[in-house]
Amino acid sequence: MAGGAEAVLSLEPNSAIRICYHSDFGSHDEILLLEVDDKLLPDILQQRTSVRGLQDEDAVLCTPSATYALKFVGNSNSVFLIPPANATNDETSHSNLSIIAPVIKIAPGNMELVHVAPKLDKLKTLLAKNPYRPEEEEQGDEDYNLQSGLYRWEDLTNIVQASDEELKGELQALSAVEIGGYWRLVEEKAMGQILTLLLHNSVLCDWSLASLKEDEVVATLVADGFSRTLALHCLETYGFKENRADECVWGLDPKKVCVYFARQVLGDGKKKMENFMDEWARRIPTGMVASLEMLEGEVLMEKVGIETWIRVFSASSLPSTPAERFAALFQERQKWERKDLNPYIRNLRVPGMSLEGLLIKYTRRTQPKADVEPVFSAR
Amino acid sequence: MQIRVKCSCGEGNCPEWAIVELQGVVEAQPSVGDRIQNLEIGRLCRVSSEETYTFTVGYHELSGTKTPLKKPMLVLKKNKIPDLNSPNSFKAELEVIGIIRHRILFKTRPKALISRLQK
Repeated sequence: MAGGAEAVLSLEPNSAIRICYHSDFGSHDEILLLEVDDKLLPDILQQRTSVRGLQDEDAVLCTPSATYALKFVGNSNSVFLIPPANATNDETSHSNLSIIAPVIKIAPGNMELVHVAPKLDKLKTLLAKNPYRPEEEEQGDEDYNLQSGLYRWEDLTNIVQASDEELKGELQALSAVEIGGYWRLVEEKAMGQILTLLLHNSVLCDWSLASLKEDEVVATLVADGFSRTLALHCLETYGFKENRADECVWGLDPKKVCVYFARQVLGDGKKKMENFMDEWARRIPTGMVASLEMLEGEVLMEKVGIETWIRVFSASSLPSTPAERFAALFQERQKWERKDLNPYIRNLRVPGMSLEGLLIKYTRRTQPKADVEPVFSAR
Repeated sequence: MQIRVKCSCGEGNCPEWAIVELQGVVEAQPSVGDRIQNLEIGRLCRVSSEETYTFTVGYHELSGTKTPLKKPMLVLKKNKIPDLNSPNSFKAELEVIGIIRHRILFKTRPKALISRLQK
């Protein structure tokens, strides 16, 4: 005799069934209801999702490409949950006169999924604690194997609340590289040394910076004592791979290279604009042309009297959540013009909110006259 | 910590569960105490070829309808499985054991029945 959910859902007109408490009725805290958008069903049913987070964090559900907060929504109604007949071992001795649909639990509510931005700030903090130094290799295996503050991909997926795709994107944005199975940031000094050496070699060997043969470049860097992984990482960080079938060819990205040298020239201090421009132009490789536009989101300029001063203020060093990002920006400067603000907020991503929406929420816009540029300040 | 969401039913043939939902709470006679397992809650009757239903609980009758959920609801089960990496400890696992697409919702006030319903 069929019973359970099937009997409820396929009840014929003018017929009745008995709804009873299941022989195993109880609170069954292990049974949860999750409301899911139809478009997310395939990811869940084909086992492409996971719940991520540490004990003290609110859990998130990650699909391969997106992150969702799990919110519990209570329901004051009595929600009788009836499993299908075959899923239960109901040994109720029921009369032959009626069919029984047993209730396993009364659901106090259900969980909902809310699309959220991944929590990626933690990744940078974790990786920055123990950046890779080329000397590590020489210090022998014992030291190297201490492995404190080193993270494999599986460790990161356990700790960071982001989907695989979001995590990979951020590792790339941070210029992280997998060395010996661990994801690392490479010490800035070392990256600079490799780049300088690469530029030096290209002058010696008369290579074109727009068309570097991977085999040749990597071989010279390895001969100078850097690992193949680091040599390739340098090409990835400062260049782009060209799609050629016959051989691997890389071009250096003038912007990335020039930004590197601008940061070198400025260091932690500030410089007068003319002095900076002179020194910057001297440092960059022959054939590349430095322009201030390359430094959008990397430096701030301010006028003091008739002098313009310039110093490093990098968008990539700012927090990724909007509230913290705007707090950091207004701590730096009380008032921003939109064109100055743009490079520092354009990568803010909040599901369901536009950049304009974020500006309205987190800033105060003032425009004394119609022909004056509006100014944004803290709310 | 990462908990994989398992599903052994495969897309398209997830067993469908049912929800019967009513406002307020159903209470058993005090004499029943905590042992409500197997106890009958009421009778669910489909009164016409349309999706209208009555649910008779004790001396009360509720009227309601079967409606599709705006979004499907998955039934998940939290399992504890032994952790192979560290003995005597357990790992959590989430498994999809069913899907809910419809509910029969009773949102009217109960109508009192004059005399006890005949079988």
